[in-house]
Amino acid sequence: MSPILTARVSKLLSIAVVLFLSVAMSYGQRTITGTITDAENGEPLIGASILVQGTSVGTITDFDGTYSLDVPEDATTLNISYTGYTSVDIEIGSQSTVDVALTPGTELEEIVVTGYGTQRQKEVTGSIAHVNAEDFNQGNVNDATQLLQGKVGGLVIARPGSNPNQGFSIRLRGLSTVGASTEPLIVIDGVLGGDLNSVEPQDIESIDVLKDGSASAIYGTRGASGVILITTKKGQVGTTRVEYSGQVTFETVDNVTDVLDPGEYRAFGGGNDLGASTDWFDEIMQTGSSHIHGISLSGGTTSTTYRVSANFRDVQGIARTTGFQRLNFRGNLSQKAMNDRLTLTANIATSTEDAVLGFDEAFRYATIYNPTSPITDGNDRWDGYSQQVLFDYYNPVAIIEQNTNEQRTKSVAANIRGDYDITDELTFSMFYSQQRSNDNFNSYWDKNSFWVGENSGGRARRVNEENSDQLFRIEGNYDASVGTNSALKILAAYEYQDFNFEQFGLDGGNFLTDAFSYNNVAGAQDFATGNGTVFSNRTSSKLIAFFGRATLNISDTYFFSASLRREGSSRFGDEEKWGLFPAVSAGIDLVRAAGISGFDQLKFRAGYGVTGNNVGQSLLALQRFGPTGNFFFNGSFVQSFGPVSNPNPGLKWERKEDVNVGFDFALLDFKLTGSLEYYTSTTTDGIFLFNVPVPPNLFAQTWFNVGEVSNEGIELALGYNVALGAGNSWQIDFTGSRWFTPELVSLTDEERGVSIGGFIDGANLGSPGQNGTPLVRLEEGKPIGQLWGLVINEGDPVAEDGTWNFVDVDGDGVVDDLKDRAVIGNGFPKYNIGLNNSFNFGNLDVNLFFRGVFGHELINTFRAFYEAPGQISAYNILKTSGDIPDLVDQPQFSSYHVEKADFFKLDNLTVGYSLNEDNLPAGFSKIRIYANVQNLFTITGYSGVSPEARLEDTGSSFGSLAPGIDRRNTYFTARGFTFGVNLGL
Amino acid sequence: MITCCLIAFMPACTDLEEEVFSEVTADNFFQTEDELISALGAAYTSLYGYMGTTSLYAAQEVSSDEMVVPTRGPDWGDGGHWVRLHQQLWTAEDPTVTNTWNFLFGGVNSCNRLIFQFQELQNPLTDPFIAELEGLRAIYYLWLMDLYGNVPIVTSFADANPAPPTNSRAEVYNFVETALTAALPLVSESVDGTTYGRVNQMVIQMALAKLYINAEVYTGTPQWQKAAAAANAIITSGNYALENDYFANFNVDNSGSSEFILAIPYDAVFAGGLNIVMQTLSYLNQQTYDLQAQPWNGWCTLEEFYDSYEDGDLRKGEPNTEEGPSTVRSNFLVGPQWDVSGKVRLTDAGTLASGVDPDGEPFTLRKEINELFPEAWREAGARASKFEFEIGGRPDMNNDYPVFRYADAMLIRAEALWRMDPGSAEALDLVNQIRARAGVAEFTELTAENLLAERGREVYLECHRRSDLIRFGEFTKAWWEKPASEECKELFPIPKSQTDANPNLVQNPCY
Repeated sequence: MSPILTARVSKLLSIAVVLFLSVAMSYGQRTITGTITDAENGEPLIGASILVQGTSVGTITDFDGTYSLDVPEDATTLNISYTGYTSVDIEIGSQSTVDVALTPGTELEEIVVTGYGTQRQKEVTGSIAHVNAEDFNQGNVNDATQLLQGKVGGLVIARPGSNPNQGFSIRLRGLSTVGASTEPLIVIDGVLGGDLNSVEPQDIESIDVLKDGSASAIYGTRGASGVILITTKKGQVGTTRVEYSGQVTFETVDNVTDVLDPGEYRAFGGGNDLGASTDWFDEIMQTGSSHIHGISLSGGTTSTTYRVSANFRDVQGIARTTGFQRLNFRGNLSQKAMNDRLTLTANIATSTEDAVLGFDEAFRYATIYNPTSPITDGNDRWDGYSQQVLFDYYNPVAIIEQNTNEQRTKSVAANIRGDYDITDELTFSMFYSQQRSNDNFNSYWDKNSFWVGENSGGRARRVNEENSDQLFRIEGNYDASVGTNSALKILAAYEYQDFNFEQFGLDGGNFLTDAFSYNNVAGAQDFATGNGTVFSNRTSSKLIAFFGRATLNISDTYFFSASLRREGSSRFGDEEKWGLFPAVSAGIDLVRAAGISGFDQLKFRAGYGVTGNNVGQSLLALQRFGPTGNFFFNGSFVQSFGPVSNPNPGLKWERKEDVNVGFDFALLDFKLTGSLEYYTSTTTDGIFLFNVPVPPNLFAQTWFNVGEVSNEGIELALGYNVALGAGNSWQIDFTGSRWFTPELVSLTDEERGVSIGGFIDGANLGSPGQNGTPLVRLEEGKPIGQLWGLVINEGDPVAEDGTWNFVDVDGDGVVDDLKDRAVIGNGFPKYNIGLNNSFNFGNLDVNLFFRGVFGHELINTFRAFYEAPGQISAYNILKTSGDIPDLVDQPQFSSYHVEKADFFKLDNLTVGYSLNEDNLPAGFSKIRIYANVQNLFTITGYSGVSPEARLEDTGSSFGSLAPGIDRRNTYFTARGFTFGVNLGL
Repeated sequence: MITCCLIAFMPACTDLEEEVFSEVTADNFFQTEDELISALGAAYTSLYGYMGTTSLYAAQEVSSDEMVVPTRGPDWGDGGHWVRLHQQLWTAEDPTVTNTWNFLFGGVNSCNRLIFQFQELQNPLTDPFIAELEGLRAIYYLWLMDLYGNVPIVTSFADANPAPPTNSRAEVYNFVETALTAALPLVSESVDGTTYGRVNQMVIQMALAKLYINAEVYTGTPQWQKAAAAANAIITSGNYALENDYFANFNVDNSGSSEFILAIPYDAVFAGGLNIVMQTLSYLNQQTYDLQAQPWNGWCTLEEFYDSYEDGDLRKGEPNTEEGPSTVRSNFLVGPQWDVSGKVRLTDAGTLASGVDPDGEPFTLRKEINELFPEAWREAGARASKFEFEIGGRPDMNNDYPVFRYADAMLIRAEALWRMDPGSAEALDLVNQIRARAGVAEFTELTAENLLAERGREVYLECHRRSDLIRFGEFTKAWWEKPASEECKELFPIPKSQTDANPNLVQNPCY
């Protein structure tokens, strides 16, 4: 260690000691003023940061680029920084005016949100991706996670259909759990478990993704699947800004299942010609038109900043009777007091939404309904809709027109934070947040609805759910900077969060009239006859944590970070409530440390972290009793109580250990930047629902911590700025990831006698006729996501006698339904890539975003059911049934229905035009108009509607252990055309 | 630093006690008499699983020559397990094998747990409950022994072995015999509303009768005398009599039939689980009974079995005709089908392509089944209408289900006497009482063949057929679409989920 460095380290340590002895410091003060400008054009820079070196005393420039700062008498140096410009340190000597011109276009000094704090990008030692608002996806975006789709290596965000009421499933770095949550923790402005629907995409300033354990371990029992940190926009010092943005989107159908049209149906033969010609897809779908309006105003003085916004959106899906209207308000206010030592910040966000959910079953029945059936035939029994009586077969138009399925949501999230600078280095903070959301689900099935309502004489269902949580946190932050580029930061904190869920609902039928819909459930005679259902329940849980972190930056060359969280959850067993989650990481800038040439930056970093994953439900550790039915006692029925679970006092968190190593680099005067990293993780104590011997257990299944999963992958991010001369630019950004399919190492604990016996099969295909047909095998020592089934003879799928020609896998001379099944694919994607091109040509901006996913297979269940010529006697069939005209066998799932689903698509294309400032009408500070196309084209060999990876199976309890199943109730995909305007006043 | 202060002044800030709001734990339950009765009920609530679609009912019926679930085109393929059940090719992973085990051991465990909890309470109120539970547990074991043979005997709860070893069928037999005999004097002797659907002395006697009549199968040693005696205790008790109308036992309002020794009081609202209406009827029959759900068009009776009833047998009834539906109750629904008014002929017009069913559009249930799989006609097979279908009914039926019925007790005594003395006059008389009620001519002598057949006709759909076929040596012989099987198929395999979880279990031969 060089003598200078040694001196710095010892100085840091001595400062730490001084701090902990709480020696009060006092200063004399003087005032420095000045202007910060762009060195190239002399324009003032608004919001540039001025900081007295070695302190947290600082300010930012106002609208004219000027500032005024009271600095301590002994201050010697100011750090001046501005995003996108090179930071400079200025010796102030005895000057009272310091003007600085900053040079743009070199190293970005981006600030990264690390969870309970921030770091400069170059100081980061964990794996953290930072995405700014200008890089977000554009167009008809109604969900904050959609902003990130394809933008972060290793983060897969997928929604196979374009259902506006369905959220995206989010998966970071493959799979590292067997039975716990796979969704990353969402943190919105410091609120853990924030509600994504309550945050308006247009209000988001940036999103950070904590990918590895060394970064996310500070979130303890919720960090194992990664953490997504959302930072909303705040007011800036300066004059008031008013912004409006508005857009209109038209969505059309992109892709439908390829079934026979009426002419083809008649020509195919064997069907039941009912005389009409109906395109059932046309009948249930529409051009969805949506509009979104947002207005915000923000501003502030050096002591007060504020921002308020209101956003309204009216969104229609491509399926009739799907869509929502949502109104969001958000406001934040920040006020300094007590000589700027105290900062109080308050945030409030409200959201109300009226959604029409429709019925996804309509897609399934539109696919198989006879294309020669009329829509209506005047049959009074079913309100005139034509219906044919067959198992699992209903007129899709009747489904969506006769019945109602709606949801109303209100949510409020509010928080307040106080930060008090005890000294310039030491800050004490308190934070309190409360979130509450209420969902009202209302459905009514018509008395004459053949599908559901007729069976029960009309049926109404109303369910009310309330989720609430409150969070309280105390933080102490110590921040010492030494010299220009060295710093020690220490955080210590306590956090308490409790959650409450309540549900109340009723479901009953037998109405005299449909007039009430779901509004007068007393009209349901089921409640009088005892056939109605009423239910309510409530659960709660708590998380409590003590945690701390220290980060050290030595000369911008050596970086260290260590954190520790001790966290307890009420959901675990009595002996196992508390867990310890340590993490360490370090980085070294090899250019500065070893003088490696050719690079502008070359940082090597490595991290190790332990994270936990909580169980998905409360009360699993307890032996509970509940109503289990009734029994006949002395002439009447008495409610009987019995056990509803086995106790497991040893229940605890899943424990994930991971190691992440990577390089961050910059070349060619920072024109080419990028990072390459590798991670590997092992999860132990995986939580899984095991079959247990019924004697002695009361219940046939218990949750145990037994599983072990290993997971690894590689991520690459590259950015290149192509110089195009003055005013023009072309920035290319590439992110790519390779997921090595996670392996189920073990699901056996011999000591406790808990095992799956080597493997279990699951994810049933379903009726008609294919119950007892597992699609997935979960096997110890094998990759997760194995698709499992009979193997078709690829060259000759149909045997001479018209039966399926399956391969005799075990070679015993007979094809046996059970013994000749094999692994026939894997549902996990191997490669995910995103490629963004952003051009600026003077006033014109163009953005092209391509996204691709490769290496996964999908089970096309539509084909497994409806690709067989014989099925035409009952259902419409896929056109591809013509490929196997000789098949007389029933449909039977096999490798024939497993397809490669690689795809590459132009996901997002935007062209915008901004008016020159000189040409702006009076009162406007900005006018931009743009057009956007989403999902313009997709290149894929997959024959189903959407080749998007199915990360979890919604049709079975296997969930995330059964990726790769394209089920029949999936909403179709849409292509969106958006036109919008952004105005600044 | 902050940590220390917090612990010092806010002990609640580290409290992670879990709160239970909408369920109860042992800490706040089992206090009042009502709660005790409710707890006892859990052991009986388990019994409602008896008739589950893949539970004991399927194991006993579909494995026999009485019922079959053919694969009807796209319906009921279900991974082939219904065909395997019919052909006796079941595997340790088949749902019926697993679910029946879980149902029975679920019952055993409810009993074990309640016996333990009641003993812990030391409340004299619970003493009769404990004897009743021990009797009920023995009955669950009787069925386990019948179906799986070699099963672990678990009688403790608190200190139960987590991996109990297999006991031999003979050991289980002795356990059941001892337990039933011990419980007999301790349980209620009342046969009235207070013990309806519960274990009383007559229920124990009937369980003993079932145990002894099959003793040779279970242990190799016949116990005809004991079987005859147990059945006689029921017959001479004066508590029971044959109903004049056979169907009084199976109608919607069959509760309290004078033949019911142990009934499961199913109820559409309070106690669901009897779903024969769904399992057996065709989708179109929704209109025949104005049902609140569309039936599944599955289970039906084998043609040979249907034909084992002679014409004029009141139990067989009469098929529907083109003139209208039959007006008498019957074990089977066959012939042209009609809507609820009885005037509109049901057709599949506009539903199916021609050729799927042999006569095209008119919807006619027929006793013939063209094939077991894959293309059984949708209208193939006589449907099981023994348990009356309620007009406007729900998927869960209101009929009570007889687990033990007086007519069966009479037939057991008759068979036991006949086994000891083929010329027994009492035996012949008992069987002829049954036949007389069915409106068919009396037998002049009893043979293995006519005794088995008469049992089949009388207790059809009452979950006795499989045991009867085994006892008469017929179970492993060939019948329609079922080749002859090995003798070891007389026992079901131990489910894979159990052998995975418990290494001390020994799998039955054959599997």
